[in-house]
Amino acid sequence: MASSLAEEEQVLVEEKLYARTLVLNRPRQLNAFSFQMISRMLELFVAYEEDSNVKLVIVKGKGRAFCAGGDVAAVVRDLNQGNWKLGANFFRKEFTLNYLIATYSKPQVSILNGIVFGGGAGASIHGRFRVATENLVFAMPETALGLFPDVGASYFLSRLPGFFGEYLGLTGSRLDGAEMLACGLATHFVPSTRLSMLEEALCKVDSSDPVIISAIIDKYTQQPHLKDKSAFLRMDVIDKCFSRRTVEQILSALEEEATNKKDDWISSTIQTLKKASPMSLKISLRSIREGRLQGIGQCLVREYRMVSHVLRGEVSKDFAEGCRALLVDKDKNPKWEPSKLELISDSMVNQYFSKVDDEEWEELKLPARTNLPVSAIAKL
Amino acid sequence: MERVSWRTQVLSKHLQQPPSQSPLSSNPCLSYSPPELSERFDFETKEMREILDAHNLQDRDWLFGLIKQSGLFNPRNAGGRVFVSPNYNQSMEQQREMTMKRIGYLLDRGVFRGWLTDRGPEAEMRKFAFHEVIGIYDHSLAVKLGVHFFLWGGAIQFFGTKRHHDKWLRDTESYAVKGCFAMSELGHGSNVRGIETVTTYDSNSGEFVINTPSESAQKYWIGGAANHATHTIVFSQLNINGKNQGVHAFIAQIRDDDGNVCPNIRLADCGHKIGLNGVDNGRIWFDNVRIPRENLLNSVADVSPDGQYLSAIKNPDQRFAAFLAPLTSGRVTIAVSAVYSSKVSLAIAIRYSLTRRAFSLTPNGPEVLLLDYPSHQRRLLPLLAKTYAMSFAANYLKMIYVKRTPETNKTLHVVSSAFKATLSWHNMRTLQECREACGGQGVKTENRIGHMKGEYDVQTTFEGDNNVLMQQVSKALLGEFVAAQKTKKPFKGLGLEHMNRASPEIPSHLTSSTLRNSQFQMDAFCLRERDLLKRFAAEVSQYQKQGESKEYSFILSYQLAEDLGRAFSEKAILQTFSDVEATLPAGSLKDVLGLLRSMYALVCMEEDAAFLRYGYLSPDNAAAVRKEVTKLCSELRPNALALVSSFGIPDAFLSPIAFNWIESNSWSSTQH
Repeated sequence: MASSLAEEEQVLVEEKLYARTLVLNRPRQLNAFSFQMISRMLELFVAYEEDSNVKLVIVKGKGRAFCAGGDVAAVVRDLNQGNWKLGANFFRKEFTLNYLIATYSKPQVSILNGIVFGGGAGASIHGRFRVATENLVFAMPETALGLFPDVGASYFLSRLPGFFGEYLGLTGSRLDGAEMLACGLATHFVPSTRLSMLEEALCKVDSSDPVIISAIIDKYTQQPHLKDKSAFLRMDVIDKCFSRRTVEQILSALEEEATNKKDDWISSTIQTLKKASPMSLKISLRSIREGRLQGIGQCLVREYRMVSHVLRGEVSKDFAEGCRALLVDKDKNPKWEPSKLELISDSMVNQYFSKVDDEEWEELKLPARTNLPVSAIAKL
Repeated sequence: MERVSWRTQVLSKHLQQPPSQSPLSSNPCLSYSPPELSERFDFETKEMREILDAHNLQDRDWLFGLIKQSGLFNPRNAGGRVFVSPNYNQSMEQQREMTMKRIGYLLDRGVFRGWLTDRGPEAEMRKFAFHEVIGIYDHSLAVKLGVHFFLWGGAIQFFGTKRHHDKWLRDTESYAVKGCFAMSELGHGSNVRGIETVTTYDSNSGEFVINTPSESAQKYWIGGAANHATHTIVFSQLNINGKNQGVHAFIAQIRDDDGNVCPNIRLADCGHKIGLNGVDNGRIWFDNVRIPRENLLNSVADVSPDGQYLSAIKNPDQRFAAFLAPLTSGRVTIAVSAVYSSKVSLAIAIRYSLTRRAFSLTPNGPEVLLLDYPSHQRRLLPLLAKTYAMSFAANYLKMIYVKRTPETNKTLHVVSSAFKATLSWHNMRTLQECREACGGQGVKTENRIGHMKGEYDVQTTFEGDNNVLMQQVSKALLGEFVAAQKTKKPFKGLGLEHMNRASPEIPSHLTSSTLRNSQFQMDAFCLRERDLLKRFAAEVSQYQKQGESKEYSFILSYQLAEDLGRAFSEKAILQTFSDVEATLPAGSLKDVLGLLRSMYALVCMEEDAAFLRYGYLSPDNAAAVRKEVTKLCSELRPNALALVSSFGIPDAFLSPIAFNWIESNSWSSTQH
């Protein structure tokens, strides 16, 4: 039973009146999601929805991270042992949690006081309230890892202003708390010194009314200052370049900008794109583009297809290679295959969006959600 | 039985809904439930969309996204969703400026790249796909682009030669010049050969001189002429040394780069219209306008520097036919965009009918969903089936257009005429039915359908009046008939090969399975076409025997001409449907298409009195057809949502009543 004890310890639960606070508690791994953590979160969320004594769910992380993403190191370990289905199972569980959060009938307040990468975004951005602090560091860094922004990112990135979502998803650029608020990924900015007071106030709430909860958070907010070099202030260039039809056209639009005037931000953006997995860039762009026109459920079903193909590695093994180069050997020198954008055909990209040709594989089946409040339905 | 239990489930679910906090919701009927939660999805809507859109799906989605993400396209929030649609409450002048701004945005994003400079079927199909997406957003924007690229640009491509291509195509693609297309006159629309504008040649200066000789010769409805266009194609009679050589096309500048009207040109506005106010339709008068000799678009005929008329095509009729080629592309785009307009309205009306309830069957019982009324099904589902059929027809038309050769010109002309008329009429009818099916919500501009009636109405008359086009179809069929009789050769082309075989027999008693048999359906359509063609030929020849001219005999036989045109169109459409079905593997997708095809065929039979009038169907059989239509309605009902979802029109391009219309109309939504 030791394992089940460990399981519970990875997610600490604090109960106060009508509020439940879930603390991601794996600080040495920056609270990266293990399979057990996700299962536990899913259990808790399901139970709280039924429980009329729960009106509000608060999620936060222990230490300097909210959550640094899914524990891909574990997934890759399975993968290298030839077991892609274990990995697929991890994502299936994680995406189900993302869906539950996105359609949750009770408000969730996520306290983003530190690192929020990949899967961490999936566990927070889909929820009703996202509180940023000065310690927040957000990124969707998957293209550097041979993956693509998953956990429903094709839904939330595609709904950011203009083509900022394409920019974040392709480059994996980092955002701070002020930028998160400016682009809408965060709903509030609260200085970290006021967090304990905020949590205390939230724990006294006896209502699920989002208006009331928002008003409480409002009392602790501060208007943060957007730094001069913020990417959010470069929206004109981002819109002009990242709106292009293909990754190649995005790159050439950026290069054209760079020749017109010397600009460090543009050249580093180009460098980042050139370092990322070409296949990741292609499928990420298409995923965001499709996601812009789909509901959250459709996005997750599609992303599950995609991630299954990534794990199977029949078109490209970039995910295993990216994890090797960045997480295992740490040589930071992945050898992508295909190595160049122009070596990737449309049919190769198409394959990631098709059903997986394997008898045991199943589409992601999302739980039926009925009698949802308006705020949850809007995300369907 | 399955259906009964399904209904029971729906009703009991409906009854068991817990009351929410709102004081209004004591009646459980007044809550919104997304239809996705209760409706069936028996087939992959994505696969169906691939069959319907048929090409460039990712390119389409990119463009949908491009529109949705820009503030220029007037995004508005309603019920927690973003909808994009032009602000039609703006003045005509503002709408026209917005159209140009949107064009500028799409131009900067590379949407029009290769529209004129890339050749080949792939480039043409992509251009069509983009144009369709733009039309789903706003008809004005699509028409404004259509004039510039398809009419002005197309005229230069098709009537011009290398010197024109080199000089104009690149500049057109980048909007360095803004083109329009001056064909119609106040006194002449569909009858292009009768236009009065006249051009002479001055061999001393090597220039053409264009004149508007009378008020009825003023160019009219010229899209782009009122505000923006810098250049125009001018259609004019060409008079060389006192001899009229017929209609020719020229390039003339009408405004300079700063928008000032050129000397000897007079421009005026056509004014406010019932729709398409984002297009600046104008009028043009030419007062001895001089243009260089090189501005004659000379692919068909030329004038030498010393003033000799030169043409490889001696027959003026054939020369004129060659001039009309670019209008074919206009008819293709109209036919296709009519189908997409029908799709938008059906997607909205059917989604609404799956969430809106009215009247209870029992006192205190729950109110019934609109689409659970058989009468409501009968109003919308046959139109849905026709829209599917016409999607396939439109795809076929696009395909024969991009693969055109000189040998296929006649087929292309006849099919594009028939489909342009049939599909645009179908669209107007669909819009009206959908508007009524949404009740009062259908008249709100934000809900699109009602407004689109005004926007799309013009499709029935521009680029060829529908009635005139349908007469041309019948005339072409008559020509084939007469030729086959004269030469004693079998029919070949225009789908008339069935005339070479024995007349099909319709069984005296039609069972349900016969009625749904595609061979039976095709037989019935062939029987109608063959009989009407014979009757039409006989009536025309009867009039001729009575001493009437050939032309007047044709005019007097208009009733049969109309019936025949319709028979031809409906059969050609059915054929495209069967062709698509034949390519699919057995499965749920093919099954539902089979239902739609039967619905299409049977509802056509029910609606055309010719089947009864000429006895292709006995009264008993006609009754059986009618009964089968209602059965098909109830069988299609469970797939209604999946069928409109397969249209692939993003939510943002539908309207608030297609989603949570209670939330989008709530008091709180009026407070910000």
